[in-house]
Amino acid sequence: MNFCKILILMIATIGLPSAAAEQFGKPVDNTNRLKISTIMAAPDNYLDQPITIEGTVVGVCAKRGCWMTIASDKRFENLQIKVNDGDMVFPMTAKGSKAIATGKLNKIQLNLDRTKALLAHRAQQAGNEFDENTVTEPMAIYQLVPTGVEILE
Amino acid sequence: MNKRKINWYKLNRSLHRDIGYFCIGLVIIFAVSGIAVNHKDDWNPNYRVEQAIAPISTQNWSLDNDEKLISQLLVTSQIDEKVKASYWASPTQFKVFFKNGDNLLLNLKDQQIIYEKITPRHVFQAFNRLHLNETKASWIIFSDAFAALLIFLALSGLFMIKGKHSPWGMRSLWVISGIALPAVYIFL
Repeated sequence: MNFCKILILMIATIGLPSAAAEQFGKPVDNTNRLKISTIMAAPDNYLDQPITIEGTVVGVCAKRGCWMTIASDKRFENLQIKVNDGDMVFPMTAKGSKAIATGKLNKIQLNLDRTKALLAHRAQQAGNEFDENTVTEPMAIYQLVPTGVEILE
Repeated sequence: MNKRKINWYKLNRSLHRDIGYFCIGLVIIFAVSGIAVNHKDDWNPNYRVEQAIAPISTQNWSLDNDEKLISQLLVTSQIDEKVKASYWASPTQFKVFFKNGDNLLLNLKDQQIIYEKITPRHVFQAFNRLHLNETKASWIIFSDAFAALLIFLALSGLFMIKGKHSPWGMRSLWVISGIALPAVYIFL
């Protein structure tokens, strides 16, 4: 009898959440949302401050759930949200849902070779022709490192 | 008054037995999830993703009206799913996301429609959630306690058997091998 009580108490203490939880990390800051197009027009201006974005999830890391791509309000533009493996695990079923994310914008400066490789990959994904000789300057990419993400229905 | 002597050998065996029984479920969860996570690059343990590619004939797509375009795509693909959202990935790629989690890509350049069906692997997902500590802080405390129990099982196993089959004679080679093998991987 005592053993049963202990077991019930342990199971109740574990309190696993339901798989339907759509809040990741800390609560998002809903007070100061910025358009992705505004941020991407001058990303360097937003590097040192927490920002909140909103948009439709159009891509999710299939294997680790470690990144999501959020569509911008501007056509063909998007911003990637990236976390360290396991910090947050975004579900693939979030594709097409609205997401709000608060975090800091991270700038990753690429060298020329990596720039060419990235642009070649993007061209391939978009089904466009690509000539690497047209790329002469290295570029930087920007990712949002979130402290909190909310995926809405 | 005689003080009752504790039989440490018997106590150790009883604890090893009962803790061993308690750990069976957890060991299976962590072991199965561990194999799945080890092979993440070869196999997606959380979802089954299937793609069906269908060529399309040239037709007048309503490229300036997303709602009309979606209707055309649903008719052409004979899909009866509720639409969640749509997105132009590039001037030649239009994506439609469905409420059931699937999505469809219209690729105008290659003249094809790609339907992606996403099926969650619920059991593996649950195991991985536990293994990767994606749950509440209380689970981290619990899994720390589980790790302590595994250490107890390992150490108490050394005192389970007396005599020629004990790990202190020739059988110590098994113990040494279990320590040496990981060490080889570290130093190689």
